[in-house]
Amino acid sequence: MSKKTIIIIILSVVLIGSIVLALKMYNKPFVNIAETKPNLLITSDVLVDNFSNNEIEANTKYLEEIIQVNGTIIAIDSDKTGKGIITLGNEDTIGSVICHLSEKENEKNLKTGQTVNIKGICTGYLMDVVLVKCVIVP
Amino acid sequence: MKIKLIIIALLFSTVSIGQGKFLTKKGYTSFFSSTPIEDINADNNQVLSIIDSSSGTIAIAILMKSFAFEKSLMQEHFNENYVESDRYPKATFKGKIIDFGKLAKEEATVTIVGDLTIHGVTKKIETQSKIQYTNDKILLKGDFEVKVADFGIKIPSVVTNNIAKTIKVTFDYDHKPYTK
Repeated sequence: MSKKTIIIIILSVVLIGSIVLALKMYNKPFVNIAETKPNLLITSDVLVDNFSNNEIEANTKYLEEIIQVNGTIIAIDSDKTGKGIITLGNEDTIGSVICHLSEKENEKNLKTGQTVNIKGICTGYLMDVVLVKCVIVP
Repeated sequence: MKIKLIIIALLFSTVSIGQGKFLTKKGYTSFFSSTPIEDINADNNQVLSIIDSSSGTIAIAILMKSFAFEKSLMQEHFNENYVESDRYPKATFKGKIIDFGKLAKEEATVTIVGDLTIHGVTKKIETQSKIQYTNDKILLKGDFEVKVADFGIKIPSVVTNNIAKTIKVTFDYDHKPYTK
């Protein structure tokens, strides 16, 4: 083999390698919530309290974290795409934790008044704490 | 913080009997960027929007981290590099539905004007919206365009051809009477 051929082979290997790597990075999958251990375990009341007392501090603590929340279901609803929305909290207070379920989750077996554990990603606080991509922890 | 005060003020201010607050906590907002290289779409179904039907005032709050992208890398870049959602976790709008009190039909087109804040920058916007207004709901539906540069959002030159200069924002808010 001539020097030229070797250089061409090396260059093509590097080129193909970087394309594969770039594609892999570009198509990096989302975190699988169901299979990931939560970073934090908390009750819905404490979570709401933390946000209503000091939202800025709570943001640094909870935003984009996978949180498992324990609480009582006060409402079951769905969004316009049909995904379930479970509200955890208690009727006496204004704030609650709104859990937007992931596509595969089914809210049909749940009832209001029931206590559940729900795992999801915290995206922030409006009137309520919002969790997205939630799964129900059995 | 300001939007919170407005929301609280809107919710708890006294209103004339028979008219009140309408609210949604699951409003839909998406944005769409189209270039010859790629189309990027992001959806948010967690939008809070409140209308005071006695005045036609509207307040909207959007969590930037709630925007869901097709690819996780896009979502990461959006939050970390473009809108800097750790520093600016919310986008807000506060404004007015023009001539809301004069709506004669259940379905109409209205003009909404107000201040849109994204990435800490506030711009006046005006947009048309479809409205359906009955005793038990106010539905607002429409779209408008925003310029990325207007909100001080810097797009790195490497991806400048992948992201449109003008982004189409679509909204769909189905408000229900607020009873609490």
